[in-house]
Amino acid sequence: MARTKTTGPEEYTRPLRRLLVVLLVAVLLGLFLLWRIDSPRVERFRSALVDAVVPNMEWALVPVTKAAGMAEDFQSYTRIHEQNQELKRELQKMIAWKEAARQLGEQNARLLDLNKVRLDPKLTWVTGQVLADSGSPFRQSVLLNVGARDGLRDGWATMDGLGFVGRISGLGERTSRVILVTDTNSRVPVTVQPSGQRALLSGDNSSMPILEFIEDADEVAPGDRVVTSGDGGVLPAGLLVGQVVRDTDRRLRVVLSADYQRLEFLRVLRSHELDPILDAGGLIAPPLLPSAPDPEVDAEGEAAAPPVAGGGDVGEEGSGDAEDGTVAEGGGG
Amino acid sequence: MISLWRAAHWGYRALFVAIFVALLFLRLLPLGSGAGRLPGPDLLLCLTLAWVMRRPDYLPVWLIAGVVLVEDLILMRPPGLWTALVVMVSEFIRSRVALTRELNFVVEWLLVSGLMVAMLLAYRLVFAMALLPQLPLGFALVQLVWSVLAYPVVVAASRLVLDLHKPATGETDDYGRRL
Repeated sequence: MARTKTTGPEEYTRPLRRLLVVLLVAVLLGLFLLWRIDSPRVERFRSALVDAVVPNMEWALVPVTKAAGMAEDFQSYTRIHEQNQELKRELQKMIAWKEAARQLGEQNARLLDLNKVRLDPKLTWVTGQVLADSGSPFRQSVLLNVGARDGLRDGWATMDGLGFVGRISGLGERTSRVILVTDTNSRVPVTVQPSGQRALLSGDNSSMPILEFIEDADEVAPGDRVVTSGDGGVLPAGLLVGQVVRDTDRRLRVVLSADYQRLEFLRVLRSHELDPILDAGGLIAPPLLPSAPDPEVDAEGEAAAPPVAGGGDVGEEGSGDAEDGTVAEGGGG
Repeated sequence: MISLWRAAHWGYRALFVAIFVALLFLRLLPLGSGAGRLPGPDLLLCLTLAWVMRRPDYLPVWLIAGVVLVEDLILMRPPGLWTALVVMVSEFIRSRVALTRELNFVVEWLLVSGLMVAMLLAYRLVFAMALLPQLPLGFALVQLVWSVLAYPVVVAASRLVLDLHKPATGETDDYGRRL
């Protein structure tokens, strides 16, 4: 502390510097406020930044990921014998299942033919490779190497070979972000089979999302299959999500079918044209029918709307998220 | 000699950016940071605080702000908020450089831990004020504990590998002024 009194330019630079730092902090907080108020615009900027940065890392990301995968595979060689036994047993079971599946497939084809069912030709998909994950323990999302130039849109459903994974939220030219169902911002309307109960699957940053707002929880038993219900018009109906389990505090959760340990290739289902998200507060909804704006009909329609949207829960939850301006609902655009 | 000094400045700045890119790269690797995994330490924060504590002249405020803002944007955090906090804390340490130079390591560690706790509280407070959904508290606490534990390691690594230390008495900068 035995410094001599500052001399020369420091006399002037120090207050100036302090002023600049205060300005910098103000600008940063302003950016945060701007994001809070006008989330889609800032999220678009974020997407563009990620789009510019991460694909350039691909040459390094992919080999390192592969190498780590190989190392993991190599570790599993050590217990190759027991794995072999296990696989043989599973194979025997699978042969029986295969036969059953073939018969069911034929039966299903016959029934579809009888009913003259036509599958939606729009349900084709684009397959993308996982480039990077969110990099944060608080956000469950992955980045795909397909984007707007491949015709992707916000809101489209994403699956791996086994089950529903998440949906597109945040789109760049070359990349797109998939928000996983385990993310805290994720809410997916689902149906529990075979009882047909509607519910909402809400992520809580654990590997098993919670099943909420079940119409009648008694009808739902552990082991039931959970598929997307298509309520809200964002996701197509009938995508396999997982199986119901009851956790230790007796809440119903869902074990996901998709292999979250190794998300490598994901298929993005082309679904219907969704409205682009332009403002922070809007709902993601299917395009309204071009009907004559009759005020009486409109009022009726509004009154009738909540029960249609899965007991109101789905609608409310959705709008709440959109107002939050979180990455899940308001983000991307 | 003078040119060497300046080169060291820029060398350390470049090194800081390189470490940041490497850390970001490691975190982005799609290697199962699956849901429910406990978070590790925030190494960038430890590094920033450790370096500002030792040689504030190596890390100008614009570099810190730029790097953390990019991290904010790429790691899907609300942009700007964490950056503002890191800038404020680094300025807090920077303005007390005469004090921190005299501290021994244990006191420094306590100070840094306190600052990290304050940052976490401020972050959550702003989240609450902005009506944002809070991050899970347990996860945030685990990350905080890891960061506090990682701080001595980061300091030791900076000291031993990168030869970054507090200026000794009598050391001079490139203008010949005492540090």
